[in-house]
Amino acid sequence: MNIVDFISLSDPNVRFVVIGSMLLAASSAIVGCFTLLKKKALVGDAVAHSVLPGVCLAFLLSGVKNPVFLIIGAFITGWLSLVLIDFITARSKIKEDTAIGLILSVFFGIGILMLTVIQKSGNAAQSGLDHFLFGQAASLVGMDLIVFSAISLILIIAVVICYKELAIIAFDEGFAQSIGFPVRALELLLTTLTVLAVVTGIQAIGVVLMAAMLITPAAAARFWTSNLKVMILLAAALGALSGLIGAYISYLAPAMPTGPWIVMVISLIAILSFFLAPQKGILVRWFKQKNFQTQMLEENILKLFYQLGEINGNFYTPRTVEQIMERRPFQDFRLRKGLIKLKRQGYLESTSQGWAYTQAGKTKGQRITKLHRLWELYLTEYLRIAPDHVHEDAETIEHIITPELEKRLEEKLEYPRLDPHQSEIPYHK
Amino acid sequence: MIHQVQNPIVELHDLTVSYLQKPVLWGIDLTLPAASIIGIIGPNGAGKSTLLKAMMGLIELSSGYVKIFDQDLDKVRSRVSYVPQKESVDWDFPASALDVVLMGRYGKLGLFNRPRKADKEVAMECLRQVDMVDFAKRQISQLSGGQQQRVFLARALAQEADLYFMDEPFAGVDAATEKAIINLMKTMSNQGKTVVVVHHDLQSAQEYFDWAVLLNLRLIASGPVDQVMTTKLLQETYGGKLTLLAEVGELLTKKEFPSREKQWE
Repeated sequence: MNIVDFISLSDPNVRFVVIGSMLLAASSAIVGCFTLLKKKALVGDAVAHSVLPGVCLAFLLSGVKNPVFLIIGAFITGWLSLVLIDFITARSKIKEDTAIGLILSVFFGIGILMLTVIQKSGNAAQSGLDHFLFGQAASLVGMDLIVFSAISLILIIAVVICYKELAIIAFDEGFAQSIGFPVRALELLLTTLTVLAVVTGIQAIGVVLMAAMLITPAAAARFWTSNLKVMILLAAALGALSGLIGAYISYLAPAMPTGPWIVMVISLIAILSFFLAPQKGILVRWFKQKNFQTQMLEENILKLFYQLGEINGNFYTPRTVEQIMERRPFQDFRLRKGLIKLKRQGYLESTSQGWAYTQAGKTKGQRITKLHRLWELYLTEYLRIAPDHVHEDAETIEHIITPELEKRLEEKLEYPRLDPHQSEIPYHK
Repeated sequence: MIHQVQNPIVELHDLTVSYLQKPVLWGIDLTLPAASIIGIIGPNGAGKSTLLKAMMGLIELSSGYVKIFDQDLDKVRSRVSYVPQKESVDWDFPASALDVVLMGRYGKLGLFNRPRKADKEVAMECLRQVDMVDFAKRQISQLSGGQQQRVFLARALAQEADLYFMDEPFAGVDAATEKAIINLMKTMSNQGKTVVVVHHDLQSAQEYFDWAVLLNLRLIASGPVDQVMTTKLLQETYGGKLTLLAEVGELLTKKEFPSREKQWE
């Protein structure tokens, strides 16, 4: 089995396994979007662990590895766990997270116990049952493939039909109830879909890791979009991609369980989304912060040249780095970097005696100075803040005021001549 | 000072609501007049939101009944609109302002039917009425508190109802939005619609409402606003005369005693 054989999908067997893995990963990702938005992510985890005893019990009772029996067993204990969580939360002082923790560990413990019993029993049919823990995509053939794919299709169809209803109970349950929607039935539907989504993965991905397949694609997709439909499609695509890679690895290394690989792939996608996504991604936000700091530094330098100019009455006198630092202690290397950049932008020029304003530089430095003083005046006059408390605030605000706000500020204060510290407010003449 | 009206739009009879056995509303008999702006006024924890939810059938009643347009709510639901508290939903939900307003059409559409072009047009028109057309495509988390409230109101308008229940529509909104909302309510009542508003600011109550309901665990007054907003009645609503009632309520919770016999199962 090499990569060419796999990618070309020439082997029909491979083709079906790949399609099956992608389909079930996509369908659980689609259902997971609603589980996530309804803030039921932990519930998915509880179900994923709680289907194990059902699978084992079905095998113990039937003695065969028939997917239909296994699914029925999984469905029953998965559901039972949710009923018990609800019951405990409603009827005792135990909070939901504690109830989930309790039920999850009890059910999973029982499941492992049964699995051990089965493995020790010497029943020849049990070989491969341990795949239900961590999954083996390559074993998704024949009857298994048909049954699990059918459930995946049912899930997708159910979400398409009930899209509007699932969306409204996730966003505003009270409103949904007020317009007469059967909220309890719809919640029951979502719970059923969640349990089924977990069940689809018991063969290829394994029960334990199905919780990740519910939530991680949805969480990753949420970083990229604020449109629910796009989010669902994207989650499905990301889920399918991880299913594809998981199936490939399953062929490449048959001794390796598939589930962990699929989860690694989707987790990697989620982490990348966390860093790279536009608007919400960490990198973009970090970049914005950085830009802001640079902008503030440059504007502060230009402002400083203006203040120095006010002192000796000539704005175009060249200044050395030492003179600048004397007036305001910048970090040395940042100041030099800022000066060079301002020169490149045409606000400063470097002469043999130091750095000096260009015409454009003076205009900009003057505007920042004006905004600083106008804002100080606004704070003292309209917010009644003491004149010795307004400087710090103005240091930030001066960089963010837009030309529209600038105009309103000037009009509101009626073009005042002096700021609260009796410095002249420079208007452009 | 409890005025009962002829042909009420809303009628509550002996309504009691309990939470963890503790009654939070005691034996309310209330009738509300049509085509008016009605304020439900009382201090924090007085049960104002609970009263609204009880009228909308969103919580179980311990006793009594609610009639709207002289019928059960289920028969007249399409003529009633409910605006929950703004804080009751997660505004980080992936939806645009238009998506939320379209939800106002869901009741008329029924289950499983998709919003049609006509529904989108109604939704846009409702956004126009609250001056939010330019924000139709904006993700809801990027709206200000006042704009979010306007979106909720537009959703209510999209329901094209005759009776509107609004839970604290003025909470956390800017002055311009507050004014826009009250103007909208006045227009609605001129069109014969009834608006029931949970409100806690006494100063503006006199100016905003035609009818006031004073509430603090039990009904204290209900009537035309100038007759109800008196010092004596307000003192009774906001003053601490209720300690006995509150203590009995606490006792019921502590002993896990049912507030009504029928609760025994």
